Amino acid sequence: MSAIGELQRLNTSTGGPPRKRDTKAALLFLLPWFAGILLITAGPVAASFVLGFTDYNLIQPPEFNGLENIQRMLTDERLHHSLGVTFTYVFVSVPLQLAAALGLAMLLDRGMRGLPFYRSAFYLPSLLGSSVAIAVLWRQIFGAEGLINQMLGFFGIEGTGWISDPDTALSTLIVLNVWTFGAPMVIFLAGLRQIPVMYYEAAQIDGAGRWTQFRRITVPLLSPIIFFNLVLQIIHAFQSFTQAFVVSGGTGGPSDSTMFYTLYLYQRGFHSFDMGYASALAWLLLLIIAAFTAVNFWAAKRWVFYDD
Amino acid sequence: MRKVLVGALAALLLAGCGGSGGGAADGDLTSDKIELRFTWWGSDARHQRTQQVIDLWQKDHPNITVKGEFKEWNGYWDSLATTVAANDAPDVIQMDELYLASYAERGALLDLGTAGKNLAITDFDAKALATGAIDGKQYGLPTGVTTYSLIANTDLLAKYNVTLPDDATWTWDDLKSVGDRISKASGGEVTGLQSWGFDIGGVNIWARQNGASLYAPDGKVAIPADILAKYWQYLLDISKQGIAPPASVSVERAGAGLDQSGTATNKSAIGTWWNSQLTSLAKASGQNLKLLRIPGEGTATGAYYKPSMFWSISSRSKHPAEAAAFVNFLANSQEAADIMLTDRGIPANTKIRAALTGKLEGTDKAAAEFLDSVKVGEAPRVTPNGASDVEAILKRHTESVLFERETPQQAAEAFISELQAGIDAA
Amino acid sequence: MTDLRERTHELPAPVPEKAVKLPGAGRSIAKHTGLILLTLVMLYPVIWMVVSSLRPNEEIFRSPGVLPDSFRFENYSEGWTALASPFGHYLINSAIVVLGCILGNLVSCSMAAYAFARLEFTGKKLWFAIMLGTIMLPIHVIIVPQYVMFSQFGWINTFLPLIVPKLLATDAFFVFLMVQFIRGLPRELDEAARIDGAGHPRIFLQVILPLMLPALATTTIFTFIWTWNDFFSQLIYLTDPEMYTVPVALRSYVDATVSTSWGSMFAMSVVSLLPIFLAFLVGQRFLIKGIATTGIK
Repeated sequence: MSAIGELQRLNTSTGGPPRKRDTKAALLFLLPWFAGILLITAGPVAASFVLGFTDYNLIQPPEFNGLENIQRMLTDERLHHSLGVTFTYVFVSVPLQLAAALGLAMLLDRGMRGLPFYRSAFYLPSLLGSSVAIAVLWRQIFGAEGLINQMLGFFGIEGTGWISDPDTALSTLIVLNVWTFGAPMVIFLAGLRQIPVMYYEAAQIDGAGRWTQFRRITVPLLSPIIFFNLVLQIIHAFQSFTQAFVVSGGTGGPSDSTMFYTLYLYQRGFHSFDMGYASALAWLLLLIIAAFTAVNFWAAKRWVFYDD
Repeated sequence: MRKVLVGALAALLLAGCGGSGGGAADGDLTSDKIELRFTWWGSDARHQRTQQVIDLWQKDHPNITVKGEFKEWNGYWDSLATTVAANDAPDVIQMDELYLASYAERGALLDLGTAGKNLAITDFDAKALATGAIDGKQYGLPTGVTTYSLIANTDLLAKYNVTLPDDATWTWDDLKSVGDRISKASGGEVTGLQSWGFDIGGVNIWARQNGASLYAPDGKVAIPADILAKYWQYLLDISKQGIAPPASVSVERAGAGLDQSGTATNKSAIGTWWNSQLTSLAKASGQNLKLLRIPGEGTATGAYYKPSMFWSISSRSKHPAEAAAFVNFLANSQEAADIMLTDRGIPANTKIRAALTGKLEGTDKAAAEFLDSVKVGEAPRVTPNGASDVEAILKRHTESVLFERETPQQAAEAFISELQAGIDAA
Repeated sequence: MTDLRERTHELPAPVPEKAVKLPGAGRSIAKHTGLILLTLVMLYPVIWMVVSSLRPNEEIFRSPGVLPDSFRFENYSEGWTALASPFGHYLINSAIVVLGCILGNLVSCSMAAYAFARLEFTGKKLWFAIMLGTIMLPIHVIIVPQYVMFSQFGWINTFLPLIVPKLLATDAFFVFLMVQFIRGLPRELDEAARIDGAGHPRIFLQVILPLMLPALATTTIFTFIWTWNDFFSQLIYLTDPEMYTVPVALRSYVDATVSTSWGSMFAMSVVSLLPIFLAFLVGQRFLIKGIATTGIK
């Protein structure tokens, strides 16, 4: 193992001169971003915050109603239900999707015949987006008389309508999400490309097996990218909207079984003309996501390995 | 600094909400060059016809450009709400019964009665007109009317050798037994009935046949829980007895739209529909379909004319007179009607309808004749402000009942209290 | 002054990719069989869509499965002309938006990412947290105030509300992505360049950017696909059919309460998939470049 250890040590200690402030350069590089925050983001974000304390039906001017929206959240059973749905989705689908993405990225990364073909094929489901055609397609596959049930029928099993049965709808959505592992897979692939091959060569000289190479080289060196995917997939999963919208026709049904948080918020805001409450809900979601992200960043100190 | 920012924002939003239109709706038409924005939802066939009508109008009004903005149903309402919020609403708006009061009572729509000479409504059936009026103000002009009906696949009925009782007098029990015979005769290949409970028409009819109504005239929810519970009990029974498909199939088809329904795919022999959907269904199914009156009408009238959609004008339109003149063209011009035909329902304008009926063929003709043959009562109260999501609430509880997650009684009570809460909050 | 690109070539010579491990033939066959099966599962949706796009309208739902019984190529010609403008018009609109967004994201996000990854400045952590925070609010509550704001700017019915935010690095996803990539690059390279007298702009342009090609390719591909498929903001900001983009146009074929031109809709869905598929095919070549081709192995 000595060669690996050597290389890692080499990388962790940069040993350069002490950092000095680069305020001027930072201002230059961040200029577009600062302009974006000020001109594009700040106004609407602040407005949504203010609206969270109002009764706003979109058509008439908002009316300040103090903490009423927050009180409503406490007793809103459908909100609590949608939180449950969302948490289940986040905790089940994110690990599964990342595992699939990382596994296949590892498999596809190096020295394989037909690599570009597989990579493209695996990415295809992620290209499809959320058009009407896709809604129809899911029904053809997961419907009561759909492809899956036809195949199950072969084995004498009678399936249900996977997306129209409240007992299976959420699980089906999770499967669908795992299926679109293409995006994190591509990011993993790009990250794997950054790992210098000499590490693996050194490991092989040391007689390290595949598993050891994975644990000692791939995971630490890929950890910034794993971390990125983890943080972003969690944020995305909490905000998951499109899939449930497409599959349930925007209702979050059957029986609210796919009522994701953002779908509920959207329905309150646009279908029930309750944008004040929807804005308050959005800020609660922001707090939840921010809390998870903060925990992620805190935990990252223990396992994410940077080169600086 | 922050305070200033927040204050500025509030002002911005208020600016978006305030503002009023320019000019009077009954004024003379301008000779200046102006632009009217006209928005509707629909499929490509409707987009094409509507564009032809716009082109026709532009020939006579070269100074008024009409910009058509077409959307699909879901996106339409998101977009409309956003533009109204920003005081940027289109001038002429295709409006739905569910949303009419929500927009009108919050001041977003123009009282068409103020358009005077620019917009004639004399040729409209009074019952139909009433569907677009709130507190004596005409916020929407119905484009067409339609009525709740059953559509039966006569090819399937013949195949399984099932004859129907007289639809003028039949009862809900008769429907059940007819459906049962079809399901049994087909050996599970098709179901006799297609489940409903996903649109508000069925509830309205059920309530009215039982001497109640969904809403009281003052806009409060008025349907007694036990009547509503019986409605769901009926749906649950036909689902469990195999007369209608199992719950998951029903829910799936209800969410999939017309083309994928049991009627369109010939998997259910009888389904509830608005009569104006006959042509679309016949096209999709490829078999012979027939309109039937809903059961129970022999003893108590539940049927009514539902406006297919309305023409409305934004209250903040800068050109209300011109917008009214354009709506007048849409609603009263024979030439426009000859292009649109029954695309937006069988015209509510009685003159137009009379002239059109002779030109209709096949299923369009059958639908028009059926409309005339149905005995209807007064129109139910317009869906109140705050109840625009009533169908979403209904659908959710129907799902819960069919999957037996709620008893019909629980569903009825929850439905009523949720709906009332929405109305109270508006 | 030494060319920095050349310098990197002085590092150890590249080793052929295959060198890691040569699996046995049996294992290879098993692996490929598994991958091909998985490929079929992944490909099924696309095959089904292509087949459906060639079916007569009535048959799409009456005959499920992927074996076509007849081919109806008219779906394509009819679908192309079914809306107010030929479908190509919407493809061009989408292309304009997509190109603008890609350009914006590549330039502005990489700049911001460099600052966050390599520069020291006051409040860096706070600014970084704010950046991440901006993607935590759902768009549905932002869009109304944003619409009000953009309509005050007079930007409604232009592509500006879709493109300008990208030019100003508002897509924190990509900033964060690039930060992670830059932090994975060896610091020694910066230091070497600095010793050669390079300032930050030069280090950024000549050292960092070439090395983060995989991240830039990822950004390009994702921006392309996500913008191409993004429906909601394009629906809201583009009200004039002349300005419609592909996702907005595609939905205009469909109405749940009447019969729909499914054939046209599927045909145009297939057409609209082609550009993103091509973009991915081209883009993925660059995913494997970066360090591998610039010499550091």
